[in-house]
Amino acid sequence: MSETILQVKNLKLYYHTSKGSVKALDDVSFDLAAGETLGLVGESGCGKTTMGTGLLRMPTPPGRFEGGQILVEGRDIIPLPEREIRKDVRWEKVSMVFQGAMNCLTPVYTIGKQMMETLQEHRGMEKAEAQELIKEYLGYVGLPADVTARYPHELSGGMKQRVVIATALFLKPRVVILDEPTTALDVIVQAQIINLLKKLKKTFDLSFIFITHDLALEAEVSDRICVMYAGKIAELGSNEQIYGEKGPAHPYTERLLAATPRLRRKVESLSFIPGTPPDLITPPMGCRFHPRCPKAYDRCRVEEPPVREIEPGHMAACWRCFE
Amino acid sequence: MKLDDAAFRLKEFWDEFRKERNGLVGLGILAAAILAVFLEPLIIPYPEASSRWRDITYWQDNSKSAPPAWTNLFTARKSAVARTLQDARIQDRGPGEKVYTYTYDYDYNRAPYDLLVRGEGSGNIPLTVTVRRPDGVSVEIVRYVLQDLAGQTFRLSFSNEGRSNALEFLRKTERPENAAQIATMSYGVAEILFSKAEPDFVKGPKPLTGRYEIEVTAGFTDPRASIEHMEIVVVGRVSGILGTDSMKRDIFSGVVAGMKWALMIGLLTSIVSVLVGVFYGITAAYFGGRVDSVMMLIFDYFISLPVLPILIVFSAVYKPSIWTIIAALILFFWVGPVKTVRSMALQIKEETYIEAAKALGAGHGRIIFRHMAPLLIPYSFASMALAVPGAIVYESSVSLLGLGDATIVSWGQILHDALGSGAVLSGLWWWVVPPGLLIAVMGMTFAFLGFAMDKILHPKLKTR
Amino acid sequence: MSNGIDGDVILRVDDLKKYFTPHQGFLQSFGKVRKVVRAVDGVSFEIRRGEIFGLIGESGSGKTTTGKLVMKLIDPTSGRILFNGRDVTSIGQAETKEYRRQVQMIFQDPYASMNPRFKIRDVLEEPLEIHRISGNRAERDTRVVRALTEVKLTPPEDFMGRFPHMLSGGQRQRVATARTLILNPAMLVADEPVSMIDLSTRAEILHMMKDVQRDLGLTYLYITHDLSTARYFTDRIAVMYLGRIVEMGRADDIIDHPAHPYTRALIEAVPEPVTGKVDEVKELPISGEIPSPSNIPPGCRFHTRCPFAKEECRAEAEPELMDLGGGHYHACRRWKEIG
Repeated sequence: MSETILQVKNLKLYYHTSKGSVKALDDVSFDLAAGETLGLVGESGCGKTTMGTGLLRMPTPPGRFEGGQILVEGRDIIPLPEREIRKDVRWEKVSMVFQGAMNCLTPVYTIGKQMMETLQEHRGMEKAEAQELIKEYLGYVGLPADVTARYPHELSGGMKQRVVIATALFLKPRVVILDEPTTALDVIVQAQIINLLKKLKKTFDLSFIFITHDLALEAEVSDRICVMYAGKIAELGSNEQIYGEKGPAHPYTERLLAATPRLRRKVESLSFIPGTPPDLITPPMGCRFHPRCPKAYDRCRVEEPPVREIEPGHMAACWRCFE
Repeated sequence: MKLDDAAFRLKEFWDEFRKERNGLVGLGILAAAILAVFLEPLIIPYPEASSRWRDITYWQDNSKSAPPAWTNLFTARKSAVARTLQDARIQDRGPGEKVYTYTYDYDYNRAPYDLLVRGEGSGNIPLTVTVRRPDGVSVEIVRYVLQDLAGQTFRLSFSNEGRSNALEFLRKTERPENAAQIATMSYGVAEILFSKAEPDFVKGPKPLTGRYEIEVTAGFTDPRASIEHMEIVVVGRVSGILGTDSMKRDIFSGVVAGMKWALMIGLLTSIVSVLVGVFYGITAAYFGGRVDSVMMLIFDYFISLPVLPILIVFSAVYKPSIWTIIAALILFFWVGPVKTVRSMALQIKEETYIEAAKALGAGHGRIIFRHMAPLLIPYSFASMALAVPGAIVYESSVSLLGLGDATIVSWGQILHDALGSGAVLSGLWWWVVPPGLLIAVMGMTFAFLGFAMDKILHPKLKTR
Repeated sequence: MSNGIDGDVILRVDDLKKYFTPHQGFLQSFGKVRKVVRAVDGVSFEIRRGEIFGLIGESGSGKTTTGKLVMKLIDPTSGRILFNGRDVTSIGQAETKEYRRQVQMIFQDPYASMNPRFKIRDVLEEPLEIHRISGNRAERDTRVVRALTEVKLTPPEDFMGRFPHMLSGGQRQRVATARTLILNPAMLVADEPVSMIDLSTRAEILHMMKDVQRDLGLTYLYITHDLSTARYFTDRIAVMYLGRIVEMGRADDIIDHPAHPYTRALIEAVPEPVTGKVDEVKELPISGEIPSPSNIPPGCRFHTRCPFAKEECRAEAEPELMDLGGGHYHACRRWKEIG
C-alpha cells in the first residue's frame, strides 16, 4: 500500500467525571494510508466520535489524553503546542465534518459569509479571492454559486451537508474525518452524498475516516473497517474480510451484521445482541464483550484478549479467533 | 389525587429533600422564623411592641440610641445595662408609712443615664427616695408629693427631681476650689450617685461598685392613697439584645414583632402573585391563539403600570391597612413570572410527552397541572424567593412616606426610620444591620428551599 | 405472516387532507395570498384487524402528519377516518377519549415521550388515572406489573421506582409500549419506534412488538423511513411522497417488484452490507431532493424528479392509485412503458 498518512498508537483518552474516569478510548491503534477510507463503526458510546475529535487534538471536555501517540505524517501531534496545531494540523492536514454540523450553521448569516470566515481566519485571504475559491468549491460539491447569498433555512438538508463538506475541504487537508455525515438525511440524499464523497476523494486525493453506526453504509464506502466496542478495537479488516462470504471473525461484528436488516433478502427473524454495552467507568473483567457474547468461555471472563493479526491485514481481539 | 397517594408522594419527596443540605438549612431558618412568630410574646421584653411601636409614651423610659448590652463584652469600660428593679422589700414604718427597698448591684464603669421611680398611684402620696450607697452614705435624692392621682402612672426621674440634692451631696466632699464648677459640670445625677464621693470629682468621677439600696418611702395618710406596680427603672447606657433606636424603641422587640409581618407580607404577596402569574402564563401558552392574545394584552396593561407612584397615591387616599397593601402588591406582583412562565410553557407544550399524554386521552386540566405546572415549580420557588424581599421593600417604601399601616411594625419601617435618622452616619449599626440582615436571610432562605426543590423535581440535574 | 389480508377493516382513511397555514403577522395578512403547506394531500388506505401496516416515506412526505391525524392529535382539513366502521373525524370530547383508549401511540423518541419527572410507575399509571380504571394502589400495581412483564422488563419491581433517564433506549421503548398496552387497545400507531435505538437492540424491540401484537391480536400502523425494517416487520406497506400515497401493497411485492419510479429509487438507495461496492458509484435513477410541500408541482407531483416523466405527467391531472392485482396499487400512469 501507499504512504501511511496517519497513525494512531496505543491511544488512551479518558473523560474524568465526578463518578470516575470513563475510558472512552483504551489502547487503540490503527493506521490510515493515503487515499484510503477507514470506517469506524460501533454502537453509541463505543468511542467512535471521541476518536474523531481526538484526531483533531480537541477532545471534548472533560476528556484528556492519557497515553499513546497520534502521528500525522510521522509527527506526534499530542505534545504539540496549540498554536502549532492550529497553524499546521487542524483543518490544514486533518479536517472534520461533525455530526449534525449541517444543523449548526448560524441562521443569521448567509452561507457565503460563513464560508468566508474559515478562509479569512486561516489564510487571511482577500475578499474577492476568497469568493472565487468559495464558488469553485461549491462547484465541486455540486451546488450553484448563488447559494452563497442564501441563508441556511433556505437550503435543504442535503444542500447544507454539501456546504459543510465544501468548508471542510477548503484548506486542502489530506485526511477528512466524517462523523455520521448522512445520519439525518433521507436514503436517496444519503446515496447522493456518498457518491459525492467518493468523487471528491478521487479529485482531491483524500483519505477518509468514516464514522457511522450503520454497518450496511460502511460496506459501501470503506476500504477497511474498524469495529469498535466499549472503547476498544474489536476487529479491523478489509471490506472483503468483514463483509465477504466467509464472514467476520469477531462474534460482536458477526452479531452486529446479523442484526442489520437487509432489504433485498427476506428474513423470518432478525437476530439481536441481548444486553447493553458496558459502563466504561468500571468495564467488565476480561473481554469487554463477554457478558453479551454467545461464544464466551472461561478465559474470556478473566483475561482481556489483545488485538492480534489473525490473517494478513485482519486484526481481531477475541480468544476464540486465535484458536 | 387520593389521600394515600398524596401521603406517599410527600414521603417520597421528604426522603429526597433530607439529602439536600442547603434545603435543610433553608427549612431550618424558616422553621426558626415561624417559631419566633408563635413565641413572640414570650421572647420579647416589650410585649406591646407590635401595637404601640409608634407610641412614644410606651418607650419614654428607655435609653436613647443605646448599643446592645453584649457590647460590654468587647470593651474595657463597662456601661450600665438597662433594666427594671421590680422586687421590693416592703416594710411598714409607723402609721401610714411604707418603705419599699430595692437592691441594685452596680458593677460598671459608666453610670446609667438616669433612674426612674415608676408606678401607678391613687390619691395624694408624699414620696421620698433615698439611695444607700455601698460606702455607707445615704443620699436623699427625691422628695415629691403625688397629688390627686386616680390610678394613673407616675414617673419620677432622678435627674429631673433630684439634681439639687445630688449636687448638694457632691459639695460635701468636693474641694472648695472646685465648687464653682459643680453647677456647670455635665455629669448627671446618676453619675454622682454611682461614683466615689471624693475630691476632684469634677475632674473625672471614679465608679463606686457594690450593692446599692434604693428606698422609696411613701406616706399613706390620705384614705384613697395606694401604690401599685412600683418599680425602679435603670435607664442604662446599653440596652437589651439589639439596643435601642433614637426614639428609645427596643430594636429586638421591633425586629421580632416585625417577623410575622415580614413573613406575612412577603409570603402572602409572593405566593398568591406567583401562583396567579404561573397559571396565567401556562394558560396563555397552552391555549394559545386568541386566548393568548387577549391574556397578553391584559398582562401588558398591568406590567406598564408604575407600581410605587400608584401605591403611594392609593395609600395617601385610602390610608390602607396592611391587608389592603398586600392586596395592592399582589395586583402588581402577579405579572412578575408571567412572561418567563409563558415562554417556558410554550416550550414544554411542544414536548413529545405532552403529545403522548394527549394521545393517552389526558384532558387540559391534567396536562396543565400534572405535566406542565410541576416543571415550573422550581422557577416558581425562585420567583417567590425573589418576590419576598421585593414585597417587603415596597411595603416599607410606602411606610417611609408615612403611608403604611401605622398599627404594625415591619422591618422595612425600622430600616427606613434608621436611614431617616441618619443611623448609618451616627454609627448606630445595631439599628440598621438586624432588619437589613433579616430581609437578606429571608430571601436566602427561600432561595435555598427553591434550589433544593429544583434538584429533586428536576431528576436530570442529579446525574451531573 | 399473520392473518394479514383477510381480516375485517379496523381503520379506514378516506381522502384525508391536512393543510397548514403558516402563522402570519397582522400586517402580512393584508399582503399576498397565504402559502399553504399541503402536508397530507388526499390519502386513503385501509388497515385490517391484526395487520401490521407500514407507512413509508422520506422526511416531508407527510407520514408523521398522517399518524397524528389518525391519533386525532390534529384535526384534518378534510376527509374521514373510520374506526370499526364509525366516523371518528368529528366526534366529541368524551368519544375522543374513548377512541384514544382503543388507539394508542408509540413515539419515536422514547425518552422525550415520557415526563422526565415521572417514575416508571407513574408513567404506567397515568393512562389508568386518565381513564379512571381500577381504583386502589394494589390493583393498579398488579396491572403495571402485568404490563411490564408483557414487554419483558423483568423483574418489574426493579423498574417501577426508576426514572426514564436511568433506563437504556431499548428499555424506555419497552416502557412506552407497556404504557400503551395497559389500556388494552385495539390498535397501535408506532412512529419510528426503533430509529433512535442502537442497532444491536433494534431487532429485540421489533421482536417484542411483534410478540405483543401476536399475543394480544393488535393492529399496528407502523410509520418509518426505513424500508429494511419495514420489510421485516410489516405485512403491507404504503409509500408516501409529498403528502400522497404513490404505491401500496404487500411488503414483499413492493420491495421485490416496485412499480412506481419513486419506490424503485428508494429501494435502490438503501445500502446493503455486502462487499465489493466501495469503488462503484451508485446509479441513482432520480436526482434532487423532495420539493417543499408548500410548493407541490402540478400534474404528477413526482414528475420534477422522475427520469421517465413525459409531457403528459406534467400537464394532465394527478394519477389516482391503480390496481395491479393482488392488492398491489400504484400511481404511475407510465408504469407499463417503464416496465
